Amino acid sequence: MRPFFDLLKKIIQTGVGKTRFLMAAVGLGIAMLLILIAIQAHTNFSQLLYSSKNQNETADFLVINKTITNAMMGQSAKSIFTPEEIANIRKQPFVQAFGLVTSSQYKVVIQAPGDLHFATDMFFEAVPDSFLDVKNEDWKWNEGDRTIPIILPNDFLNLYNFGFSLSQDLPQISQETVKALPLQVNISNNQVSDQYMGHVVGFSDRISSFLVPASFMAWANQKYGTTTAVGTSRVIIKTPDPSNPTLVKFLEDNGYTTNQDKLKFSKTRMIVQTIVSVVGFFGLILLCFALLVFSMFIQLVIASCKREIQLLVILGTAPQQLQRYLLKQFVPLYIVVGLLSLLLVAVLQYWTATILAAHQMLISPWPGVLVFAGMTLVLALVYVVNWLTVKKYVNNI
Amino acid sequence: MQIQLNHLMPIPLQDKLQQRSSDIWNREVTFQQGSFVKIKAPSGTGKTTLIHYLYHIRYDYTGQVAVNGQPWPSYSKNDIASMRQQEVSVIFQDLRLFEQLTARENIVLKNVMQGKPYYPPEKIADMAARLNVSHILEQSGRTLSYGERQRIAIIRALVQPFQWLLMDEPFSHLDEENTQRAAALIAEECKARNAGFILTDLDNDQHFAYDVHYHL
Repeated sequence: MRPFFDLLKKIIQTGVGKTRFLMAAVGLGIAMLLILIAIQAHTNFSQLLYSSKNQNETADFLVINKTITNAMMGQSAKSIFTPEEIANIRKQPFVQAFGLVTSSQYKVVIQAPGDLHFATDMFFEAVPDSFLDVKNEDWKWNEGDRTIPIILPNDFLNLYNFGFSLSQDLPQISQETVKALPLQVNISNNQVSDQYMGHVVGFSDRISSFLVPASFMAWANQKYGTTTAVGTSRVIIKTPDPSNPTLVKFLEDNGYTTNQDKLKFSKTRMIVQTIVSVVGFFGLILLCFALLVFSMFIQLVIASCKREIQLLVILGTAPQQLQRYLLKQFVPLYIVVGLLSLLLVAVLQYWTATILAAHQMLISPWPGVLVFAGMTLVLALVYVVNWLTVKKYVNNI
Repeated sequence: MQIQLNHLMPIPLQDKLQQRSSDIWNREVTFQQGSFVKIKAPSGTGKTTLIHYLYHIRYDYTGQVAVNGQPWPSYSKNDIASMRQQEVSVIFQDLRLFEQLTARENIVLKNVMQGKPYYPPEKIADMAARLNVSHILEQSGRTLSYGERQRIAIIRALVQPFQWLLMDEPFSHLDEENTQRAAALIAEECKARNAGFILTDLDNDQHFAYDVHYHL
């Protein structure tokens, strides 16, 4: 076909409106660049969040409760999750594991032994063992045991050591000492009162509550419980990604609340995602315009050579030959534009990776597979649109 | 390739043609492959129109032009293109050369249209020499005289494979000597391919050993 195409080059002048065509090519380049950058930014962000190289284990445990508003004060029933609400939380896609926080239905008073003169009213809660961040072999209770293992919140000890004890001129206590202290636990309801030994087995950063084994809680609620079982007002979930915006939205929509600190990534992530989407969106808009200009250019070329093309067809040139020839005039430029954009993205990615590496944030120095896929897709789209345009106008002649 | 006419009648000439008899219009005619056909016609009886119907670039007729048993409109655009590259060639009365190409390029265009060159460059040079147009091969189509264009159009029609050659007053602007040379070349090329031709002209002539004569 070469000698024939060489002659076609002299007959079909593609020089008409060449500047317009080149500008459209530049537009295509920018569009492609924006789209590829958006894709790559997305890839980078997921790498930063989820890649094992970046060490920050994102799976986290969240204790969720209803927000207490002024209107709800004094009506504790309103803070209780209904079975439907619990089922709804349980089936959310971001919930990896789900547990109920059971609270005690009896009065608890804890006393320190000897002359420490320390006594306080208290409560207990229990969660399934798999949600605990304290692993201790003493963490078990069987019916008949007089010693109850207890897990305290780390914050509680800190409050005492750095707030309370200093202001009251009391001694600060180490974790070891607390664990060694035999505590006297009085459990009572309106009729009976029993004494147990309390033994602190660990301190939890995860759950801000006074925890006892679930087996003890079940037994004690049965034995001392004053009312019929009250509902659950706190639940604990394990989620792979607490910055997941759908999780944050779910909590907001339902009036639930949790430790806000754990959700702080979510905002950053939303902002980045919005920016990336806007960039990608502009890329797509620009791509549409580039496609439009290409189509108009093809139309112009064909219209300006209408007589020549008619004569070629009369002499026996197949519409297919003309289509192939015309596409050959445009497509190489698209491929060059695509490769240039890819190269630019690769350079940008390498540069970004170098900068981030200095901050211990590791991303791949190469553009991701999605970028290549994106480029192929955009080029395929441009090709198909061009092909359809050429086909349409050549066949109309 | 067989060409058949089934009651072919040009719509614009209908009234005029119904008042006179014709060997072609409104009749069943079959052109046998390989035969040299002469169609003689006075001006205004639809000579060029007939050639355009046969070559399928005009469609304003009633009746049918059937090629290999199928009417022209049943062929796709790509099929028709392939037939014009392989089976049927044409010399138009108005020649239809590309002005932006040189004389040689106009010839080569048809020589390479189907892919591989049909004739080597020496053969084209040889044909040009026989028709006395060697010296103008590198000139742009725009600058050629009508007689020169006519000879280039003849050579262009001969550098492709064909079974039928359609000619519309192919020698109208050639002197007697050049007409003889051109006719000899055409006859030779047709024989070499076992091909036939359909030639339309105003008068009787002895340029070819015609197998069939028709009056339009």
